[in-house]
Amino acid sequence: MRAGRALPGAAGCGRLLAAGLRPLLGGPGPCWATVRRAAGRWPSPGLRVPQAAEAEQLVLRAGGPWGRFIACPQLARTVQRCLQAGSGPQPVVLECAPGPGVLTRTLLNAGVRVVALESHPAFLSKLQSLENSLDGQLKVIYGDFFRLDPLVTGAVKPPAVCSDKLFEAMGIAAVPWRADVPVKIFGIFPQRKERNTLWRLLFILYECSSIYRYGRVELNIFISEKEYKVLTAKPGELRIYQALSVLWQAGCDIQLLHMEPWSSFLTNMKNGRLAIPKSTRLPNDHLCLVRLTPQQNLFTGGLKPANSATFIFMVKQCLTKPRSKLIDRLNSWSLDNADKLLKALEIPEYVETGNVYPEDYKRLFCALQNSSVFTESWFHDEVLESIRNINL
Amino acid sequence: MALLRLRAALLGPARLRGGGIPWSVLRCYSSASAKEKARRNAICERTELLEVLKARVKQLQTSNIPEVTINKVELAPVQSDRHHNPLQKVVDARTAVEHLVPKQSSSWTEKLKKEMYIRQLKVEKKLSIAASQMTPEGQPKVKTKVKVKTKVKAKAKTKTKSKAKSKKSQKSPKATASTSRNQSHAGPSSANTYHKPRVEEMKQDVKAQKPQRVHEDRSSQRKIMQQTNQSNLECLLYLQQPEEAEKLLLLYHSNPMKRKLLNVDAYNVVMRGWARKGCLHRVIHLFSMLESISLRPNLDSYAVLLECMTQSQASTKAIWRCVQHLKKDGFHVDELFQKCLFEGDEKEMVLKAIRIIQPDYQLPPPPKPEICKTALLKNFYSEEKMVSYPKLDFTVQELRERFQQQLEMELNSTITIESVESTKPLTPQAIKARQQLATFRSQWRGAILQALQKSKHNMSQVKTMSGHSVLYPYLCLLPDEEYVDIMMQILNSLSPQGESLAVLARELGSKVYNRYLTQRKLHSGQLEKVQEIYKNYIHLLAKDSQPSEYLPREYWEKLVAEAGYGPSLNLKDCSWPYVLLMRLGMYLLEILVHAVKVPRNTLNPRLPSKLIPVLYHIYSFRSSWQVGLIKPHPIFSQIVSDAAETMLTFNSSAIPMLCPPVPWTSPHFGAFVLSDTKLMRYVDGAIQHQQLLDQCPQVNLHPVLDALNQLGNCAWKINQPVLDIIISIFNDKGNEKLDIPPPVSEAPKPPVSPSSSSALHKSQKHELLLCKKKAAEMHSLRMDALYKLSIANYVRDKVFWFPHNMDFRGRTYPCPPYFNHLGNDVTRAILLFAEGRPLGPKGLDWLKIHLINLTGLKKKNALQERLDYANEIMEEILDSADHPLTGRKWWMNTDEPWQVLACCMEIAKASRSPDPAAFISHFPVHQDGSCNGLQHYAALGRDLIGAISVNLMPCNVPQDVYSAVAQQVEEFRKKDAEEGLRIAQVLEGFIGRKVVKQTVMTVVYGVTRYGGRLQMEKRLKEIEFPEEYLWEASHYLVKQVFNGIKEMFSATRDIQNWLTESAKLIAQSGRTVEWVTPLGLPIVQPYYRIRPTVLTCSMQNLSVKNSSNNNQKPDTVKQKNAFPPNFIHSLDSTHMMLTALHCFRQGLTFVSVHDCYWTHALTVDIMNEICRQQFVALHSQKILEDLSKFMLENYCSPDRESRALWQKKLMEQLSNVPKTGEFNLNKVIDSTYFFS
Repeated sequence: MRAGRALPGAAGCGRLLAAGLRPLLGGPGPCWATVRRAAGRWPSPGLRVPQAAEAEQLVLRAGGPWGRFIACPQLARTVQRCLQAGSGPQPVVLECAPGPGVLTRTLLNAGVRVVALESHPAFLSKLQSLENSLDGQLKVIYGDFFRLDPLVTGAVKPPAVCSDKLFEAMGIAAVPWRADVPVKIFGIFPQRKERNTLWRLLFILYECSSIYRYGRVELNIFISEKEYKVLTAKPGELRIYQALSVLWQAGCDIQLLHMEPWSSFLTNMKNGRLAIPKSTRLPNDHLCLVRLTPQQNLFTGGLKPANSATFIFMVKQCLTKPRSKLIDRLNSWSLDNADKLLKALEIPEYVETGNVYPEDYKRLFCALQNSSVFTESWFHDEVLESIRNINL
Repeated sequence: MALLRLRAALLGPARLRGGGIPWSVLRCYSSASAKEKARRNAICERTELLEVLKARVKQLQTSNIPEVTINKVELAPVQSDRHHNPLQKVVDARTAVEHLVPKQSSSWTEKLKKEMYIRQLKVEKKLSIAASQMTPEGQPKVKTKVKVKTKVKAKAKTKTKSKAKSKKSQKSPKATASTSRNQSHAGPSSANTYHKPRVEEMKQDVKAQKPQRVHEDRSSQRKIMQQTNQSNLECLLYLQQPEEAEKLLLLYHSNPMKRKLLNVDAYNVVMRGWARKGCLHRVIHLFSMLESISLRPNLDSYAVLLECMTQSQASTKAIWRCVQHLKKDGFHVDELFQKCLFEGDEKEMVLKAIRIIQPDYQLPPPPKPEICKTALLKNFYSEEKMVSYPKLDFTVQELRERFQQQLEMELNSTITIESVESTKPLTPQAIKARQQLATFRSQWRGAILQALQKSKHNMSQVKTMSGHSVLYPYLCLLPDEEYVDIMMQILNSLSPQGESLAVLARELGSKVYNRYLTQRKLHSGQLEKVQEIYKNYIHLLAKDSQPSEYLPREYWEKLVAEAGYGPSLNLKDCSWPYVLLMRLGMYLLEILVHAVKVPRNTLNPRLPSKLIPVLYHIYSFRSSWQVGLIKPHPIFSQIVSDAAETMLTFNSSAIPMLCPPVPWTSPHFGAFVLSDTKLMRYVDGAIQHQQLLDQCPQVNLHPVLDALNQLGNCAWKINQPVLDIIISIFNDKGNEKLDIPPPVSEAPKPPVSPSSSSALHKSQKHELLLCKKKAAEMHSLRMDALYKLSIANYVRDKVFWFPHNMDFRGRTYPCPPYFNHLGNDVTRAILLFAEGRPLGPKGLDWLKIHLINLTGLKKKNALQERLDYANEIMEEILDSADHPLTGRKWWMNTDEPWQVLACCMEIAKASRSPDPAAFISHFPVHQDGSCNGLQHYAALGRDLIGAISVNLMPCNVPQDVYSAVAQQVEEFRKKDAEEGLRIAQVLEGFIGRKVVKQTVMTVVYGVTRYGGRLQMEKRLKEIEFPEEYLWEASHYLVKQVFNGIKEMFSATRDIQNWLTESAKLIAQSGRTVEWVTPLGLPIVQPYYRIRPTVLTCSMQNLSVKNSSNNNQKPDTVKQKNAFPPNFIHSLDSTHMMLTALHCFRQGLTFVSVHDCYWTHALTVDIMNEICRQQFVALHSQKILEDLSKFMLENYCSPDRESRALWQKKLMEQLSNVPKTGEFNLNKVIDSTYFFS
């Protein structure tokens, strides 16, 4: 009976449950519980999921700092299904700013082990009491994911958190890059800092620092539709295809899991809504649940965490003016035989930088690594400079 | 501005960020093409809208909906356009009109198709023109828009009728029906639901738009377009290509839309071109063209015609007819010679013509000089009290020689001087690098020249006036080699950190402009005239000539009148629009970047010997935007640094003048002999100030001009012993404590070599970055000091002058940018008055008091105590003077060490002289206003307590406003602490003068609570306040400081609020804040919400913030926040000018650094007296009442729609002048510490 409830919502993915486990479900012994827990399959605690109206009350009473939350149980179930898709052992889900806890409870009921990272005092206490009522399936940490590893020097003041501390608290050790996903992170991006957050994540991804020090952390994030369009823009889509697109596409598998209208989300602002970013060129009617899984073979062919800043810099320089010719850029970097290099890479000689595929940029970079371009000091100075500017 | 720009350009990016000007003014954009696409999309959208409209029209044909609806729907897209591109608006509006105009065409569908096609063509055409950016079409948009509205209304009626008829008369074919159904399907719903709100919006908008402003916008925008056009024509005139000029003119003339851009001056320019060639028939033809579009010829037109008639030996009758015509147009022959700006021998020609028909014609007598009637200067200008102008210690001959030197320097436009580093021995490495550099430079010259010529050739092949080829005439103004010179200069002065593209482009552009201007002055004979006048002008100043009772301006004007030059000494206004300047600069920069190459293996012979570019273009990213930079390749920087070249090249205007400056006689004339100097500095592209100055009656500017002349006429010399000591430290290792920047070689070295930096740790990278940043900062500081010292060294044996101009609030500045008395402690210490005066009985004491003031030691003590203290430490003073670097070095530990040292030396010399009272001293003694901004506020508001605390009230010891505020705050704190407020208790013992000083000082200049809190936080950190309370404490403190000031300066706060609130309402009503200083200087705040213009260039698109180009809506926040400080600054500058003028009447040497006044030790007492008198005189004026009256007249004149709510509110606000306290202003006269 308990087993039946264990996977109530995982309708889609539950069927894919490892075949080996299935016959054993009937007779749950203590050791099996441990095994299952280790595999991320907890018995459902059978928590009551608050209804939308209830959650709304909670959120509205909370006041600032403002955020956007999932209130509707339906949406929570959808998200939970998306998160649990896939077979094999389910890693821990780190839920950022769970707020009223609708999704948290849905996840817990689905037998997922959840770490909740919450910075809002009003929600924190509620979550903590929930934590205490459970048998270790939920861990609540005070902190703000979007203030992870602040760049300012000096002591980290909560709710800013250190990734080391966070992962230690979650009990997750670093795994090699090629290993499986060590942790899934779920969150809703704060709209005002969306772009910045995406850039920061990109930097730590390519540097293998912060959360990515622990392996290929999988991000499941709600971002605005327009930003999703940018992330997945194709070469030649002028204005949309940007450095951000190239770098994310080269670094991660990007998978759209779900689209949900803005109105489905709850905000704790007085007038009941948070400003939805305006967009003229791109549609922006939804928040998109996007899964960003770092590529296993990201650091191959000469791209290393140590030189990745140069790669980022190169891409940014190229795509500042997407109608410029790639070869002109290369020549302006005092490269010998740029035409030959392009030919060898089978990139058209007179291609515009806005038409070059992400993979081609990576191949180009790797080829350039072997030439003298990047070893000349000026390029390095620029890269360093650009890191400073971005990290500020 | 030119100076600021120069300085910024030479100091490198580190400085730039500090200055903030260039970054904020200019941004660099990416991708024109994407923009274009967006624009195209917008057009598509609009085409859809039109489709909808058509459908709607169709619908109306069947159902009889009243035409009012059409109007609404029709207006909607026109309105929406306003947010996009003005060009499209014209297009759409016009097409819309065309579309609605009833036509007798039999087939409606056919017509529709045809129109669609035409419209597309038009849109495309417009787009291509838009891309070429010079958009003369942009101008008429407002007008057409207005017209469209009315037309639509009128025509909509007829249209519906006729359409209905045509519908009846013919059954439409099936195809038409289906399309119309499709359209109407989309049509009605979207048209109604979607556009109605917009109509509403627009209605409100129309209401909000004040007719006055629309008019102003239009006129200023038109002004820009005219300026572009005019400068193009002038350029062709200068090149003596009247054919080309006429072609260009015809291009505009033939197009009724563009024709509106033309004014009489445009025709005059072309006529003048023909007149110079003696082609009378062409001139007459143009005359008729002019009249054919009902423009009235002006005086200039007639002058040109007459000149040409003389040249082509026209018949007497023709000339007679011409003169008759002139009279018929309401002009007088005399006016020709009084008002026209003649160049070359034009005047003689015209005179000849007149004398042909009127042989005994005599030139009209020069107009009688007007006398300024400002109440403040009534006595100053009254004839009876005339004083002869003080003489310089030079003979006429000497001054003429100096003038010649100055002229030669300016004719060369640049000057190369030895840097102070040249005394260092040369290393073999340096010799080699110099040779290398010399070879490269000659190669680069060749390459640039070739590239320029090739590019010019390509351009000359293109016959249309579009895009680049618009620049062609501007590339012919100077010999090719001069363009190359300019580009080489830029290359040579590029800092290793690189420079923003925009800054470089601006510099290149303005260098070309300045050289062109010099050439024009030479060719038009203007220079000769100036030379001649100056020769005589010298008599006013030279010691061996008769004393004359004139001010420099008056004397100059008198000489000009006597020479019969009339106004012709002023060059015709020929300034280039900012966008043009940038475009030209970008063009040259692109050539430079592409042409200059260096072998890659220059430094490392193992590399292949490929040529690589010396300059590369790279983007730097700053949060959400990006800046294009031009950086030199490290190879280049390395050679330059190895070569350690010791020659520095400056613009000639960067060097102090070697002769007394040409006096300012108008906003367009004064300061340097040739170099173009603006009377008022302003941000690039702003034309408001110049317009305002031109519009105001010139006599009102006389006091300001005279004050500037007065400041500029102060002769200076170098304090050589101090300079030598400074240079010796500079050439050694510098000294950060003494503010002598060390060379970059002293910069901290990164712990690891940067070559392997890809493998560095994060912390190592960070450290490396810090080192680089520090090195960059040091470089720019070092260069700044190098420039200053080198210039000082260059003029070390000379007497020199700093011509002055002012900012838009009237604050005065010396024009030479690097080395001047406004500089830091080091530069000020090097400067002495060239004129010496005996110390007199009290002079030595003043020197001693001045010394103590400079040390910053005895601020709270009375003058006598300061003097006593100086006498007490006389031994230290003498030791410092005698053994500055080897003695006890007392001077080094003072606030302003270098000035202290200089003063010590002066005191030593004076006290050792047999008779100190007779000792001739050149030393300037300073008197500082104590918190001058608050002084003005306190006087404005007659705040008693405030007045006491800023020394308006006589007291035995100087009052210290900062301590007073600190005390007040402490009282508040005690009270709060007793009431149990935690933070007040924590703050016990922390509140002092230091903590509040900065905030109090900046309150006057409009610091906000936010900024104030940050300042507090910094101060508290300095005194090691517990960190956990920092935020709360700073928050609390800033609140209390504000309260404290409010308590002490009650009226001050009211005034500040009144000013702020008034400015807010004015800005909200769509106007900019303007006022006139008590001296009559008109002021306008140049803060607008600017939409940048994007300049499409092949290398990169530049976004140019051109404040005069777009719809100028005032930036309310800036207008409001800046008004109180700007107003106070305009008052302090007025006070300074008044003091300067009256000091002159008393024969004093006087200069100022804003609120710090300098004079000889002998005359300090007199200066102080004048300073106080003028302060009292100034504030005895009804300043606030006058301001209120002026603003009421300006912003609430009865002829405007005064019923509007905002109007009422504004009127109420402006008339409600804050009440004042009961401080008796006359007390200031006796206040010793007012300025001390």
